[in-house]
Formats: sequence, C-alpha cells, structure tokens
Amino acid sequence: MVYMTYLLLIGLVLGLAAVASNPSPYFAALGLVTVAGMSCGILVGYGGSFLSLILFLIYLGGMLVVFAYSAALASEPYPEGWGSWPVSTLMLAYVLLVVCVSVFFSGGWFEGSWVTVDEFSEFALFRGDSGGIALMYSSGGGILMLGGWVLLLTLFVVLELTRGLSRGTLRAV
Amino acid sequence: MNPYVLSILLMGLGLGTTVTFASSHWLLAWMGLEMNTLAILPLMAQHHHPRAVEAATKYFLIQSAAAATILFASSTNAWLSGQWDIQHITHPLPTVMITIALSLKLGLAPLHAWLPEVVQGLDLTTGLVLSTWQKLAPFALLLQISPEIPLLITSLGLISMLAGGWGGLNHTQLRKVLAYSSVAHLGWMMVVMQFSTSLTALALLMYVIMTTSAFLTFKLLKSTDMNSLAMSWAKTPSVTALAPMMLLSLGGLPPLSGFLPKWLIIQELTKQELGLVATVAALSALLSLFFYLRVCYCLTFTSSPNNLAGVAPWRLESKQISLPLATSTSLSILLLPISPAILSLTLPLF
Repeated sequence: MVYMTYLLLIGLVLGLAAVASNPSPYFAALGLVTVAGMSCGILVGYGGSFLSLILFLIYLGGMLVVFAYSAALASEPYPEGWGSWPVSTLMLAYVLLVVCVSVFFSGGWFEGSWVTVDEFSEFALFRGDSGGIALMYSSGGGILMLGGWVLLLTLFVVLELTRGLSRGTLRAV
Repeated sequence: MNPYVLSILLMGLGLGTTVTFASSHWLLAWMGLEMNTLAILPLMAQHHHPRAVEAATKYFLIQSAAAATILFASSTNAWLSGQWDIQHITHPLPTVMITIALSLKLGLAPLHAWLPEVVQGLDLTTGLVLSTWQKLAPFALLLQISPEIPLLITSLGLISMLAGGWGGLNHTQLRKVLAYSSVAHLGWMMVVMQFSTSLTALALLMYVIMTTSAFLTFKLLKSTDMNSLAMSWAKTPSVTALAPMMLLSLGGLPPLSGFLPKWLIIQELTKQELGLVATVAALSALLSLFFYLRVCYCLTFTSSPNNLAGVAPWRLESKQISLPLATSTSLSILLLPISPAILSLTLPLF
C-alpha cells in the first residue's frame, strides 16, 4: 500500500513539473490529466473515495476535457514537449526544487511520514470526506451558497470578457 | 456595459471585501480576495482596447499568484499548527509568505512593479476603484497578522516610501504618478503598523479621500497626462484653483489634511525611539512632494504657451456628478483643524 501511494505521489509531482515547465498546451493538458488521476488514486488510498469520485468526474471529466478541446482548437504547428531544451531544463529545475523542499520539511516528530486524511479509520463510521460533505450541506450552508454565488459570478465574468466575437475584449490585434 | 452584468460585478466587488472583513478563517478570507479579483476584471477590460486587456491580464496574473501563495501559506499553517484562524497564525514561515503575498496584492515595494502599468491601462474610474476599494481587503488581513512580523512590515514600508517617491519622479502620465503615489502612501501606512493600527487606518482613510479627489479631478478635466492639464484654467477655474491644494495635501503639506497622518506617524515613530526611520520617512515625503508639485505647476502655477483668453474653449456643462468630487476635495483640504475628531474615527481599531 505504501509502495502504491509512493508511485502515485511520484506521478503527481512529475505531472505537476510537466505542467509548470512550459510545454505547449497539449502536453500541459496531458500533465494535468496525469495529476488529476494520480491525486484521485492517493485520495482513495486515504479513504476519501467519494471525494475522489467527484474529482474524477467533474474536474477530469468536465473541466479538463473542455480545456483539452479548447487547446486542440488553438493548434500549434510545432508543439514543444520534453524533447526541447528549455522545457526539459525547467522540468529538472522543478524536480530539484521539490526535492529540496521535501528535505526541508521532512524530519521532526513525524519522521518524514505525512498526515493522513482518514484518522481513526478502523474505529469510526464517519469518514473524513463524506462527513465533510454532510457538514457542508448542514452547518456550512451559508458558505455553500456563497461558493455557488462565486461560481455564478465567475460565469458572468467569463461571459463578459468573451462577449463580442471579433469586436470584443479577446481578439487577435 | 449591460446594466445587469455591471450590477452583478459591482455587487461581487462589495461582497468580496465584506467577506474578507467578516472572516476569521483563512479560506474564507481567500475567497473574498478572489471574488474581488474576478469581479473587477470585466470592469478593467470593458473598453475592449488592447491596452486595457493587457492591464486586465497583468492584474489577473499577479493577483492569482498572490492568492495562490495565500492559499499555500494558510494550508502550511494549518498543517504546522492545526488550525485556520487568522489571528492565531504564529509560525514564521506561513506568516512571512502571507505578508509577501498580501504586499503583492496591495502593490507594496519591492512587489510594486505591476501597479503603474496596470493603472496606466485603465480609465480613471476603474483606476480609482483599483487604488481605493481593492486595497481594503488585503489591509484588513495585514492588520491582523502584523504583530507577528514587525521587522518585515517596517522594512516593506520604508522601501515602499522610497520606491514610490523615486519611481514617480520622471513621469508625464498622471495615472502612473498616482500609482507611485499609492505605493508611497502604502509605505507610510506600513511603517507605523507595529505600533498603532489606528494610525495605519487613519493614513488609509486619508489616502482614500485624497486619491478619490485626485482621480475625480482628472476625470472631470478629462486629462490623463500633464500636457492636457494646461488649459484647465479656461475650462473650470474653480477646480484649477482647488486642485493644487488637494495635490499638496497628498504630498503632506501643513495646513492641509494630508499632513495629519504623516505628522502623527512621525510622532509615534519618535516616541518609539525610531528616529532614523522617522527621518527617512520625512525625507522620502519630499520626493513625492516634488512630483505633486510638478503636477500643480502644470495645472495652476504657470500659463502654458497657447492661444490666450481670446479663444477660450466652450465651457460645456459636464455630465459628471460633482458631489463626490466636491466632498472629497473639501475633506482633503480642510480636515486638519478637527484632527482629534478624525483621529477618534479610527481609535477603536487600536
């Protein structure tokens, strides 16, 4: 189990470094898909199976797919992946950064192990993720409504910014 | 802009600052900051020309980076200390990260480079909202965490005063001058934060009043650079007479109201035995005063070579509502004699 989590975490960090190392959007979207998939696996490993399912469906299956289609529409003639020198240099730099930061944060009383989401899993029926979601709909109702309003605001912002086709804000000038 | 969309965006702006003011949890504070960022973007880009879109893009990238840093730092703090309370953040690493992120949001030096370019790309009304309303929410958070890192905040303040003063010196574009003036005033607010949060709030209040007056004056005169200020004597003589007073108030000259926060801040610094900081602050105010004086010179103190009074321009009635301009200009000139009353407005914050 530890080995599985280890593999997923490595995949997560590599995927993030792939996104951040400035390749063309195709490969960046691939990196994001990898990150989402790996992090869902890690979540399942720590007992957050419902949250993982929601993440897979909505984030990966909804938003990332839309982003991938948009990237495909804005196609580049010469996409840059890890083969090109600047991208791979940045990639190595980010991996090095992660190593340094993890060395800084390891040690201490928990000796390099990471806090789990799912404490007392053998003794509790009330798991972290589903308990949190239940709270979000009950005592956290106001914040849920606020979050919904913020999402609606984001929709209006995006619609206003992209309104007008070739006469609007975002146009090739 | 569609009035329904405009009202939603303005309500989003109001709600964002309100949520950050009302929050005691870092996530909720972050949510308010993000709402402010999102809601102002279409307002920035509403004129659809490339310069405005560039300003909106720069603003979005900078503010998102700062908000992501806040999220990261508050998560680190939750990991290290087990709680998300804003006022109980004690571990130095997340506190320093959040301070740097908030100073990036505000435009404090050395993280101020985006501010002149963003303000320059906006029309004067949106620039006003950016310089006043968008400063309130990060300020509320900084006031709460300032007791933990006094040295960092004082250094940020000193550097901001100097960067704002020196940076604003060789400009002809009024919006860039006002951006650097914002940096310098934020420096004054930071420098006294560890000793008296009420003086910080007073400096912020006076700055909001004075900069509102400045932006509205330039909007009435329809001028965005110093050349176009030259004929304002023929358009609105009253504004031409009062605007230098308002600009010198921004520069902190007695007996105008802008002197009040600077005077009290220097007094507090001296009482706390930081005489060198007080001296550097006073000297950096001279730098800012020079560029305010230059704007006054172009506006009022000199007659520019032009066709003279024989061909005065049409004095058409301006459609701008004059009450905000009149109120803010009066306040920015006349408040010094009632200083104790003004000081008592912000004393509860102590």
